Amino acid sequence: MRRARLLLQQEICGLLLAPALWIMLIILSLLVGYSFIQAVDLFSQASRTALTFPELARGMNPLDGIFVPTFGAYYLAETLLLPFVAIRLVGLDKQSGALKLLLQLPFSPLSLCGLKLSAMGVVWLLSLLPAAVVLFQWHLLGGHIFFPEVALLFLGHGLYSLTIVTIAMFAATITGSLPTAAMFCLSITLGSWVLDFTAAGRAGLPAIIGRFSLAGLLHQFESGLLTTGAVASFLSIGLGFFLLSVVWLHPGRRLPGKLAASLLIVASIASVPALSTFMPGYRDISENRRHSLNPADSQALAQLDKPLRITVHLSAGDSRLLDLENDMLAKLRRLVPKLQIRYAAGKASGLFSADRDDNYGLIEYEYNGRHDKSYSNSRQEILAIIYKLAGIKVKAQPVAVYPGYPLVADAGASRWLFYLVLPLLFLCGWLYSGKRL
Amino acid sequence: MTSGRQGSLHPGLQEIECRVQGLCKRFGDYQVLSDVSFSLFTGEIFGLIGPNGAGKSTLLECMTGLLPVDAGTISRQGRELALADRRRYLWYQPDDALPFARQRVRAILSFFRRMHGRDEGDVTELVTDLKLAQVLAKPLHTLSKGYRRRVLLALALLSRQPLLLLDEPFDGFDLRQSLAVMELLRRWKKERTMLLSIHQLSEAEKICDRFLLLDQGRMPAIGTLAELAGQAGLAGGATLEEVFLAFT
Repeated sequence: MRRARLLLQQEICGLLLAPALWIMLIILSLLVGYSFIQAVDLFSQASRTALTFPELARGMNPLDGIFVPTFGAYYLAETLLLPFVAIRLVGLDKQSGALKLLLQLPFSPLSLCGLKLSAMGVVWLLSLLPAAVVLFQWHLLGGHIFFPEVALLFLGHGLYSLTIVTIAMFAATITGSLPTAAMFCLSITLGSWVLDFTAAGRAGLPAIIGRFSLAGLLHQFESGLLTTGAVASFLSIGLGFFLLSVVWLHPGRRLPGKLAASLLIVASIASVPALSTFMPGYRDISENRRHSLNPADSQALAQLDKPLRITVHLSAGDSRLLDLENDMLAKLRRLVPKLQIRYAAGKASGLFSADRDDNYGLIEYEYNGRHDKSYSNSRQEILAIIYKLAGIKVKAQPVAVYPGYPLVADAGASRWLFYLVLPLLFLCGWLYSGKRL
Repeated sequence: MTSGRQGSLHPGLQEIECRVQGLCKRFGDYQVLSDVSFSLFTGEIFGLIGPNGAGKSTLLECMTGLLPVDAGTISRQGRELALADRRRYLWYQPDDALPFARQRVRAILSFFRRMHGRDEGDVTELVTDLKLAQVLAKPLHTLSKGYRRRVLLALALLSRQPLLLLDEPFDGFDLRQSLAVMELLRRWKKERTMLLSIHQLSEAEKICDRFLLLDQGRMPAIGTLAELAGQAGLAGGATLEEVFLAFT
């Protein structure tokens, strides 16, 4: 235990002495500051109208308007800069020959990797400073903060960072040089980003694939939805790359053994997200309960014991399908025990292709041998059809209406904080580490 | 007494510390080590002699378990040493390592001292012996090659494993410094066994009790200098250089 603490301290010192860390933190401060000031400006513009119309005010949500755009800067830093810091954990030791010494100390490869990951976790806390300043500034401006959804946002970025760090560690263990490791790591993270980008604005299969990209998983946390699938996927990807790093770290292990262990890890880890789909769990953390129906509706839908079949005659690129997918279909997937959704439209797209398919735009419902159909993707109408087919009546429970939190504010004064004070603070931290460690 | 292929024992060297048997290592089509076998006796300084590229560093890394072997075993007291056990008995100091390069020498020495459970007095003694006092506050990567070598040597001597493997310990030192390092190694050796990989034959001759000649992964000879000279058909008093040239 004493030796583990020693090595942990040594790894933390190594990271604090790395210029890459401080450069990342300085860039992060600038990015976060720019994103925050821009977000406050746009939020204020929208709030001016909303302040006079309560209906519009309900759409003014600080999570979507302020925190998610501001944390977009974190996404950039985590995707493009964090790998360069994390790769050093193993890559520099390999390059400098230090790994040959570390492997002779009384630590197993598992402990070594675990301690390196822990050191990275401790240092990662430094990167939360700009986010803490954002929360403080928003509070000072009179903005509303709903802490559970902000905490979920932090959790999402924490899990995303963990995944990136383990990918970087693995990249460093299997490659011979730091640039190659960086290219390997970025090819995975950027590949995942491309996957998410391709799936954006599309429904059906591309959307499902996109949901399991790293960025897609993060989006679930950004929207205030905590699902077992997203947490299990992040953790399993992170654990998978971590274990692969453990297997490949020791140069003295034979290649066939490493390959066999890797196959075993990949097979075991790949099954975790799949298992979580059989045991779905979710919690709507958002303050405006955007992922939830009225509790009475949720209860009624959860009690449907027969298969509910929905056939959607909309093509993947159609914005109506996107709305339907993100709202009602997503909610029904979480609530209805035996839901079957079929996408019947082929390549027809949009209103101008409707003449090729008379049913285009139609949504068909089938429950317990009864059928109905509609062109509407309105929540009330869809629920009414389902209840009619099921022969049940549901009376909505009274719930508090989300008021919305419009705010006209000027965050211009905080630019000094993000563009000067925080970067200077990190610069001082860099110089102090160089002098003291 | 052991004789023949293993070379004879010096008086007082009775116990076998470690036995290497039939070690083979190949990188692709290139056979780096071919059936290398030898024993190390407790308390001796054993020289691994050979030109650059002979396979000396590969042999040390194979012994330590940092490289997988194609064939062969490493055993101690009649028991084969598994990969995880070797770090308890062997400490290998590579010649090209620059551990925690951005950290100060003092911090690096302190880390390895505490890892090996040594007293602060040991570090103080090493710092004095290796004349490291003036670089203690400097980051390792800013030091000259000579100072880096001294720090590496200090790190090696802080280890406590019974068998110490040093790769090119005299590289980067001038004659006077090499003699001082030899004296230091003798003083710090105590009950330990040392295996030194050396390509400078004059240094090897001064410090080692026995020698293993390694050439292109093969071991043409093993023994004391007198035995090697005899095997090579050279007159008594032949230098290690003459012996080496006769065998390779």
